[in-house]
Amino acid sequence: MTRWAIVADLNRCVGCQTCTSACKHANATAPGIQWRKVLDIEAGEFPDVTRAFVPVGCMHCEEPPCLDVCPTTATGKRDDGIVTIDYDLCIGCAYCAVACPYQARARVDVPNKAFAGKQMRHETVMEHPDRRSVAQKCTFCIDKIDDGLANGLTPGVDPDATPACVNSCIAGALHFGDMDDSGSVVSRLLAEHKHFRMHEDLGTGPAIHYLWEHGTNRGEPPVSTPMVADPVGMGGVLPQLQKNWDWRAAANFIFGGAGTGLFLFAAIATFFTDPVWQVAFAAMALVATGLFFVWLEIGRPFRFANVYLHAKRSWMTREAMAALPFFAFGAASLVSASAIVWAAAAASGLAFLFCQAKILQAAKGIPAWRQDEIVPLIISTGLTEGLGLFAAFAVISGANNSLLHIVSVALMAFLAVRYIVWRKYRGALGKKGAPTGTFRVLDTGMVKFSAANQIFTAAFVAAGLMTPSLLAVGGLLAVLTGWSFKYTLIARAAFNQGYEINRMPARGAGSSSPGIKPGWMVS
Amino acid sequence: MDKSDNSGPDQVSTYCYQCVAGPDLLKVDIKDGVATQVRPNPSAAEIHPAGGKVCVKAYGLIQKTYNPNRVLTPMKRTNPKKGRDEDPGFVAISWDEALDTIAGKLNKVRSDGLNDESGFPRVAASFGGGGTPTSYMGTFPAFLAAWGPVDMSFGSGQGVKCYHSEHLYGELWHRAFIVSPDTPLAELIISFGTNTEASSGVCGIKRHADARDRGIKRIQVEPHLSVTGACSAQWVPIRPKTDAAFMFAMLHVVLHEADRARLDIPFLKERTSSPYLIGPNGFYLRQKSTAKPLIWDDKTNKAVPFDTPGAEPALEGEFTVSGIEIGADEARWEHSDIVCRPAFTHLSNHVRDFTPDWASQVCDVPADTIRSVANQYLDHAHIGETIDIEGMTLPFRPVAISLGKTVNNGWGGYECCWARTLLACLVGALEVPGGTLGTTVRLNRPADNRWSSVKQGPDGFMDYPMNPTAKGEWNANPRTRHAHQTLIPLAANSPWSQALGPTHLAWMMQQQGFENLPKPTTPDVWFVYRTNPAISFWDTKAVSDVMAKFPFTVCFAYTRDETNHMADILLPECTDLEGLQLIRIGGSKYIEQFWDHQGFALRNPASKPLGEARDFTWISTELARRTGILEGYNAAINRGAAGVGLKGENYDFSLDEETAHGVEEVWDAVCRAASAEVSDGAESQGLDYYREHGFRVRKFSRQRWYLYPEMVAQDLRFELPYQERLYRIGQELGARLHEHGITWWDRQLKEYEPMPNWHDLPGLWERALSEHFQIEINDFPFWLITARSMQYAWGGNAGIQMIHEVASNIAGHGGIIMNPAAADKLGLSEGDVVEVSSPVGKTQGAIVLRQGIRPDTLLMIGQFAHWSTPYAKDLGAPSMNELTPMILELTDATGSGADLVRVAVNRVGGNA
Repeated sequence: MTRWAIVADLNRCVGCQTCTSACKHANATAPGIQWRKVLDIEAGEFPDVTRAFVPVGCMHCEEPPCLDVCPTTATGKRDDGIVTIDYDLCIGCAYCAVACPYQARARVDVPNKAFAGKQMRHETVMEHPDRRSVAQKCTFCIDKIDDGLANGLTPGVDPDATPACVNSCIAGALHFGDMDDSGSVVSRLLAEHKHFRMHEDLGTGPAIHYLWEHGTNRGEPPVSTPMVADPVGMGGVLPQLQKNWDWRAAANFIFGGAGTGLFLFAAIATFFTDPVWQVAFAAMALVATGLFFVWLEIGRPFRFANVYLHAKRSWMTREAMAALPFFAFGAASLVSASAIVWAAAAASGLAFLFCQAKILQAAKGIPAWRQDEIVPLIISTGLTEGLGLFAAFAVISGANNSLLHIVSVALMAFLAVRYIVWRKYRGALGKKGAPTGTFRVLDTGMVKFSAANQIFTAAFVAAGLMTPSLLAVGGLLAVLTGWSFKYTLIARAAFNQGYEINRMPARGAGSSSPGIKPGWMVS
Repeated sequence: MDKSDNSGPDQVSTYCYQCVAGPDLLKVDIKDGVATQVRPNPSAAEIHPAGGKVCVKAYGLIQKTYNPNRVLTPMKRTNPKKGRDEDPGFVAISWDEALDTIAGKLNKVRSDGLNDESGFPRVAASFGGGGTPTSYMGTFPAFLAAWGPVDMSFGSGQGVKCYHSEHLYGELWHRAFIVSPDTPLAELIISFGTNTEASSGVCGIKRHADARDRGIKRIQVEPHLSVTGACSAQWVPIRPKTDAAFMFAMLHVVLHEADRARLDIPFLKERTSSPYLIGPNGFYLRQKSTAKPLIWDDKTNKAVPFDTPGAEPALEGEFTVSGIEIGADEARWEHSDIVCRPAFTHLSNHVRDFTPDWASQVCDVPADTIRSVANQYLDHAHIGETIDIEGMTLPFRPVAISLGKTVNNGWGGYECCWARTLLACLVGALEVPGGTLGTTVRLNRPADNRWSSVKQGPDGFMDYPMNPTAKGEWNANPRTRHAHQTLIPLAANSPWSQALGPTHLAWMMQQQGFENLPKPTTPDVWFVYRTNPAISFWDTKAVSDVMAKFPFTVCFAYTRDETNHMADILLPECTDLEGLQLIRIGGSKYIEQFWDHQGFALRNPASKPLGEARDFTWISTELARRTGILEGYNAAINRGAAGVGLKGENYDFSLDEETAHGVEEVWDAVCRAASAEVSDGAESQGLDYYREHGFRVRKFSRQRWYLYPEMVAQDLRFELPYQERLYRIGQELGARLHEHGITWWDRQLKEYEPMPNWHDLPGLWERALSEHFQIEINDFPFWLITARSMQYAWGGNAGIQMIHEVASNIAGHGGIIMNPAAADKLGLSEGDVVEVSSPVGKTQGAIVLRQGIRPDTLLMIGQFAHWSTPYAKDLGAPSMNELTPMILELTDATGSGADLVRVAVNRVGGNA
């Protein structure tokens, strides 16, 4: 077998960005897009300070999170380990971009233009229209590798078969080769040096290895990287707020959760009262609205049907699949009082909601999302919103008191559950650690799930036992707090993984020192 | 250009010489006639010291070629008023009109006389640093040579942005215009601010990366943790401009705390002036009959001339001797039975008080650190060991000290260069494998050959082409506006000397004039190419104001910029990837270009010229033709002004001198001569060969990296530690200046000490600023320094988007780097926009907090503050050039000053 990998010798790297530039040339990437770049990382406090340069890019992981999440199978992984993108299949949903903990993926929607005015000649000649509005990232210069191999060349040895960044490296810091070949330069270097991989704890198995000291890894204790909550001067290294999914994506979680929740309670209500088709319709309209906003966000909206191509692993595909019976049975429920129809629609909706929760959990690039506790949180939030909406509907439609009492009690219970699940989520996140910015957003400002907010909301709901209109207010408050939370979670607290360096490298005869995980904290 | 034109090659070989650390070799991909991609040149991997790689700047060449902001037609100014606030009103004109206008001015100059009433050339020219423009200006040097006197004293940064003291003292002591460690063999490098990883090019980067891989220890001593500090084993954050004190303390440790056996005694005795006896007046004690310096011979127990065969020189002690001293202006003292000591003893006494504890207070570095560095230096010196270099046995001394720009420049430069070179001598590590080497010569001749430049001089030392100071020989009437021959003996008078004189004096003279020097005059015609002194010099406002007064300025213009804003004519020349030229490569070149080969490389056009851009050779030929100097111009090309003489022992490719030749015709002849030179006359391939192969080289012996063998062959000594010659010259210079009523250079005359003392350099800056500008220095509490950026240094790439994009990955570009503790005291946070002000100016930028900088120091990387250059003007990046004063008080005896000033910081806005 073959497993292509890059070995970056941090003792040799000088941060010159020649590889960054060579990559931009070889791949004609857009201004601001760098498939390969070199980070400038500082650790320690004056006067005991060290500084290192760390080349990053697509890690061509053994277990690529981007591969699992891709709903279209556009992202693939070859037998030689190279993670690929089929630009013709990709819909530009950017799910892969938020799933990548190495910030390696980007989407560009406009032609390359470094200067204002017209494109420069080389920009026109090197334009890649197939890459427009879809995911893009480092390919390991796959065409060179394949052409080279076809011509009997050895990648990593022959320049014509080797990635441009490696060819260009003036410090001899970047090496390319086959990890499965014990005689390759990368295998030899890993045998002779201590090395680490970035974010190893995420289990992605990245194919970029960093050498930090001469010697062997044998006997080295596991390295834990010190978090530094607010380091200075490291703008390009710190976790950044993800920009791939904005309010449109948030709307899908907001309306999808509330809509499917609402349908569930409308279906349950059929056991107590006549089916109310208007509620079912409203529920479906919410879900449809959420999906419409997502459709607006994807880069290639008219390829949206490709979303169904990866049921095997992608929760986004599964979400889209769950939407089909939800809308089918939901549509039937408008004209049928059959409990089976209503139950089928509700169950599909619940599946849809579950998929949404799993979508976030699978987004490994966003620490605030990838927690296991996100699943019950998203589900309980959606259900609470659904019940809150149902309560409002019930009050407005003049439902009987016994139903309203049940709804009040249930809503209080859901509020309690939502709060408990939130605290559990927050506790787990705080214990594991997350970007400082995530905590700052979750813990300050308009705090959505604070105990005070929940008690305030619950008070209205409880008052609804006496005064039904207050139940409606309480229900809507439950909805608003939930929606506000989800908007915050998706669009404001979603700081990406950022970068870290496990060990500051030994330079020449110097010694190595502890690394740094900048912009991270436990809280 | 027709985009569908794909009839040419799909890849060409060329070179990149944007910075002084080049040239390097590359390939350019071409698609549909458009240059699309820069690549390394793998076919040069075996012959190029960095394996045929090029640095990040070369990758900017594609954008540089197709940049929509280029000037693509000749233009003329329509607004006669000049100034930053005046719109030049440039309008497009034809090449004929442009060239005829220039020729008209030049022809008038010739009829008026080539020199003006003050004796200065009426034609001036400024080119970018390090001579790199020569590799892009085709045959323009032939035009200049044919023209006659041209004043090149309006510097573009020379003296303020170069390694100025090293250039002069380095050439004097070991033919080292630039000094470099012998990195491939060194074990320990102590770097005082040398920003190797930013400014030593691909060869330096590769050599140092290889060295780190094998475990070299590099100790970086500098106020901030540069990219070089990052790549070093240890960072020592020293107070700015106190490096000399650190090195003096190292000398103290070596001479007063270490055993003498740890020094290279034979080297000191045989290859330095250490045994020379010093007379009571500070000059060598000489044998009366021969005037040769005396040494004490331990074997015969008497004083003998230094070159006495079989003598066993004494390095230390007191000896009763007789002889003469020869001082300034032939002053002569005769001594009988006086007590004299060798220079080495004088040295030992000189550094007795420079203890690590003393230096610790000056440098703000623990004494133990200084002592440790000095002892490590001795530990790694391998005294007595030898190494085989291509069959020659040479001393092996793998320790070196390198000096950065601000360490090297201005006051303190002499002290640092002296201490560094002396530390090398003490362990025999000068010009030997592993040690401290020179790279190339520019003041001595021949310029392409260090060994051949070693010639017998006085007193057993190498000769040096000092500008004369003796009565009757001193040049009282300078021929350049900075008066380098008058003021700076060490600047010599080679073609490079003008650029090395005190170039800011030319600008200052225009501002204020200098008493008892000729009246300042503006040049009638000023040519400017690949330089932007309105940005790259000090006190850029003052420089801009001066150039606005020049009556006729011709700028070869890539884009509009701050200097050509004052131009009368703009000429669009072919850029790097459009022009045709052959240059020399290989041998040993600055900065760390030590090759095992030498030869030639072709700049083969990868793209047809855009717009009306023309090849520089065509422009030169046209100017020569239109000014009636075509014959002299062709003759200059035939002599070698285009890089290689066209006529040799076994070949003659000379051009007909009366005909205007085409660009390819000229370079074909040059290529043929180059082929003949490389093959000793056996081959004569022309342009087509170089187009196909890109370059052609032959072997260059690694032995020639080292001067030591030639010194031994000629039995010469390095002129250290005692500077008797400079001491005498300084006195003579003072006498000549005073005879002509010039007293404003007196401060500089004090630098001519036989062994430099510590002069409280930070205090010198503080006093100079306080007194000159009448300010309270404590109102300016921070030291402001600068650092080179690999992405931006040289090459004029401030207007290239890709360079800006990738440079932004490195912290601090475009901002003001500050220590967080210092920022905290001022209530400043990351991103705050502040105004940084010095006594002469102010600049604005955003704060970038970094732990790797001293709390008393601020750093601004690179040179920005553009206000005209497209794209660059929108970056909002600060520049220390606006803040650095151009004053005599901060000008040293070599005519240079340092990038150093005291500043205040004030918030002007919220978070950027």
